[in-house]
Amino acid sequence: MTDGLMAVPETPMPTRRRRRRHSQWNGLLFVLPSLLLVTIFFIVPLGMAAWMSLHKWPLMGVPRWVGFDNYERLLTDKSFWSSLWFTIEYTVVITIGLLGVAMALALIVQGQGKAISAYRTIYFLPVVTGFASAALLWVWLSNVDTGLFSPLAQDIGLTEGRVNILANFTPAFWSVIFMVIWKMAGFYMVILMSGLQSIPTDYIEAARIDGAKWSQRFRFIIMPLIRKPFALALILCISGSMLAFDQFYIILSGGPRNQTVTAVYKIFNESFISFRLGYGAALSMVLLVILLALSVIQLTFLSDKGPKK
Amino acid sequence: MNEQVNLQRIQRQAGLCLRRVSKSFGSVEVIRDVDLDIEGGEFVVFVGPSGCGKSTLLRLIAGLEEVTSGDVLIAGKDVTEEDPSDRGIAMVFQTYALYPHMTVAQNMGFGLKVAGRSKTEVEEKVGQAADVLQLNDYLDRRPGQLSGGQRQRVAIGRAIVRDPDVFLFDEPLSNLDAELRVDMRIEIARLHQKLGNTMIYVTHDQTEAMTLADKIVVLRAGRIEQVGSPSTLYDDPDNMFVGGFIGSPKMNFMDGVMRQNGVEVAGVILQTRPITNRPADGTPVHVGIRPEHWRLAEEGKTAVPFKVGFSEFLGGASYLYGTIGEKSCTVNVEREAISERGSVLNLMADADHICLFDQNERRIR
Repeated sequence: MTDGLMAVPETPMPTRRRRRRHSQWNGLLFVLPSLLLVTIFFIVPLGMAAWMSLHKWPLMGVPRWVGFDNYERLLTDKSFWSSLWFTIEYTVVITIGLLGVAMALALIVQGQGKAISAYRTIYFLPVVTGFASAALLWVWLSNVDTGLFSPLAQDIGLTEGRVNILANFTPAFWSVIFMVIWKMAGFYMVILMSGLQSIPTDYIEAARIDGAKWSQRFRFIIMPLIRKPFALALILCISGSMLAFDQFYIILSGGPRNQTVTAVYKIFNESFISFRLGYGAALSMVLLVILLALSVIQLTFLSDKGPKK
Repeated sequence: MNEQVNLQRIQRQAGLCLRRVSKSFGSVEVIRDVDLDIEGGEFVVFVGPSGCGKSTLLRLIAGLEEVTSGDVLIAGKDVTEEDPSDRGIAMVFQTYALYPHMTVAQNMGFGLKVAGRSKTEVEEKVGQAADVLQLNDYLDRRPGQLSGGQRQRVAIGRAIVRDPDVFLFDEPLSNLDAELRVDMRIEIARLHQKLGNTMIYVTHDQTEAMTLADKIVVLRAGRIEQVGSPSTLYDDPDNMFVGGFIGSPKMNFMDGVMRQNGVEVAGVILQTRPITNRPADGTPVHVGIRPEHWRLAEEGKTAVPFKVGFSEFLGGASYLYGTIGEKSCTVNVEREAISERGSVLNLMADADHICLFDQNERRIR
């Protein structure tokens, strides 16, 4: 290599440049498979959705160019904004609930021992069931006649008669929240647990000697040290919840009185129930922008100047 | 002068007592019936091989582990059931345990902050400790931006800020390189001189123990083998374990037999000190002689033959490694006496420097 350079000392640059260009082509070759996948399954559909959103696009028949009409229309579409608002409400509640429960579970199961590893498995088990299956289970459990909750509440004297928990917004909403926490807390527990386990016990012992109470240790030592896994759990939780669909579709079908229609549910309704594919695509684009903004905010949070090693 | 006043203020002379302290982890008993009295202001070193329970004993004093039975008293007060923060102790960990997300100043002031002290008071105390340890230039740095020695000083600073009765050090120098270890050792000794607090220091390094301690506690398998000043332990060990553990290179042990006028080693009679509980003649014993207590015998006199294996020249000292009879032996000699492999030297030792141990490895006095 060096000999080659020595032989043509007056023109070393072109050789180097050629080599660099060569290695760049090599690099491109290596990323080509993933580039292809991203292009086929993300860029192209995204472009198609953007293109669709500028059309009146029925399922059958010829699409018609309408420019930004769909976007103008969604600005005044109260049902979309209310579905978006409901999604945000749900996201806030479920994020607090999920991460709170997951943190409590993680604190319980971070230690060693046979019993603890059994608990860890038990808490994690619901995660491996599908969302749809879990939702179907919940539909059955919540059934006013043949389910578990209503008859049980009546049997133990909690309620006088059978109460249909899915008939009113508040119990229906909280029942879904409860189901999602049951189903997903184990997943976030594992993420947070890995963070907790990576904290050397010396830090906690030093804090004990420093006189920090449990709450102070949690606030000043534990939380700052699990900031990264916590941020990861937060991002996954928020972006997952903003796309919530299955649980509300299967358990509540958007009811009662369309109060539990989420943003994705609304898009689904517009696109595949009303077959307004163009309008559905426009709604998707708006949701995408919102999610993108949220992700940017969260990524900034993740990569702040926090703890330096 | 000002520093002197501040240091005077935090000077404490709190003693510590352990009364029949035992600790078990499940069925494994790691500390057995330990009784120990530490005077206020003493520098005490717990020393012993790995797994002897010295760190556990320190953690029992700190309150990081609960005693299975027995009492811990600090400054005359029974603290057995107290939280670590209420025992009047501060601890320096082997890993330093500095909070990585806090600056040096925040690390040092954390204890005061969680105790709800005012910001000015925290700053003042941190400033004082930083003065003592020359950490003023690093107060805004994070632990990750400091060298090992600086981190060690911050950990000590955090302990000073707590204004404790007793300082506890858990192998604080084991993560430092050899040169820095010597520097920090001197710094800790100086700190003890300045502060005058009771300090308890755990190490497996007998050199650290010898150089730092007012009192050494030698532990083995959860029991105290001997307590005493470095010179007592060195000159007058209670058993072969202490004799072998304290001192480097370690004490030589040879097989001997009691004789009327001394002890016979390798066919040669060596004079011994007067012995109160003298075993009967012909009783086999272990004879302990330190490498530096051997000397070359005058010509023509009877002497113990030492067959040279190899030599080590360390500048200030020279060691010959070889055998006396079947037993391996180390001898500290003058530079001129360094000999070829295979040559035989005639050695003698004075009666005052010969320690006898019985078959249970206990000292015969």
